[in-house]
Amino acid sequence: MTLNVTQEWQGVLDKIKNWARINSPWAIHYNSGSCNGCDIEILATLTPRYDVERFGIKLQGSPRHADVLICTGPVTRQSRDRLLRIYEQMPDPKFVIAVGTCAISGGVFQGCYNVIGHIDEVIPVNMYIPGCPPRPEAIIDGVVKLLTSLQAVPESATA
Amino acid sequence: MEAVKDILALLVFPGGLFVVFAGMMYEWLDRKLVARLQNRIGPRWFQPIADTVKLLAKEEVLPESVTPFFFVVLPLIALAGALTAVLYTPMVGLEPAYSFPGDLIVTVYMLSLLTLCIGLAGANTRNRFSLVGATRALTQLFAYEAPFLLALFGPAIAAGSWQIGEIAHYAESHWFIFTQPIGFLVALIGLMGKLELPPFDSPEAETEIVAGALTEYSGRGLAIFRIGKGVELVVGLTLIVTFYLGGVANPIVFFVKTIGMLVVMAALQTLLTRLRIDQTVGLWWRYGALLVLLQWAVLIVVQIA
Repeated sequence: MTLNVTQEWQGVLDKIKNWARINSPWAIHYNSGSCNGCDIEILATLTPRYDVERFGIKLQGSPRHADVLICTGPVTRQSRDRLLRIYEQMPDPKFVIAVGTCAISGGVFQGCYNVIGHIDEVIPVNMYIPGCPPRPEAIIDGVVKLLTSLQAVPESATA
Repeated sequence: MEAVKDILALLVFPGGLFVVFAGMMYEWLDRKLVARLQNRIGPRWFQPIADTVKLLAKEEVLPESVTPFFFVVLPLIALAGALTAVLYTPMVGLEPAYSFPGDLIVTVYMLSLLTLCIGLAGANTRNRFSLVGATRALTQLFAYEAPFLLALFGPAIAAGSWQIGEIAHYAESHWFIFTQPIGFLVALIGLMGKLELPPFDSPEAETEIVAGALTEYSGRGLAIFRIGKGVELVVGLTLIVTFYLGGVANPIVFFVKTIGMLVVMAALQTLLTRLRIDQTVGLWWRYGALLVLLQWAVLIVVQIA
């Protein structure tokens, strides 16, 4: 559906949309073959001690509700299709965060017979958070940096 | 002039903009209170607004195997039902915008439309989580609806009227929370069941069935269902405060009472754990309905005597 609005109004609408997007990132978490270290840190991030609801971050069960896909671990041959399917089930605009060394480069699993490689080889990644495993502070910092990067980019480039 | 008043009542106050905004603010307060009770800081005040705008601006995925017409129309019917109920409720302690004899029954049925639509929306998709969620939502509807209705009809019998406005005026001088305490409790807990808040959140239990009946909804549909839930929270709290806590009153006093009810609900949400669906049904039919009927019997005997 397209509405005919003037340039200024379109600008205002884009600003409101961008503001809402930055302040309400709903996340879904997928482990595509990680050793569970990063997953434990992600769960620690969601506990009351770090309370990410302050930033509007909410963990969602359904990919249809999520904006941010938080991936951990290298992609194994088994989980490649599942990762792709989850990514494709998410409605636009969507973002992907790769958490941990394995998600960035394959880590210690590099070259394994059952591992395809890092997340980037299967789906496009917007933000990399290094660490083995990264601390909850690092994960929060990564999410906030991803959101602030949205602020700078014009609307058309983010979608 | 009459037409202008109608349009204002439908679009600005008490229906439309006002109640949508109030619903979001109540939702924020609820989330914030729960967060504080769990020793967290909690969301910022504009959180529900940001969530809703973001969802409205997102792509809406139309899954395979749904009937597109119902997929699009069901959220709208749910929201329309909730907004219609607003017109007959005394929002912030003011007179209801419209009123006719028997509007209490219409309002209560308009409120259940939301749950019915959520159930049908879940059954419309072929997703197994949606189907389980829809079954549970409809089962829960049959569990709490009768006790909730009976609890709201208690004040109606005492006031001798089926019109919300008249009951509200009668309740000004009679605080039904003291004469009908069981009805008050059942109505408050029934509202929590209606809104699928913990401990009655098994229809959308995210640890078992992803997001329940709304699993396949994204973007606009999900946003409209969420707005509908916010509106229903406002209407439900308003009805309970009007019926049991002193009827039509000064808006500020009325607002304070409503917030008090919300605090009680947030505390119950934090304290109690999720009930299984069979436990929910058992609770309502074994205790809720029977206790309310007992109270009715006492009420009728007292009225005749």
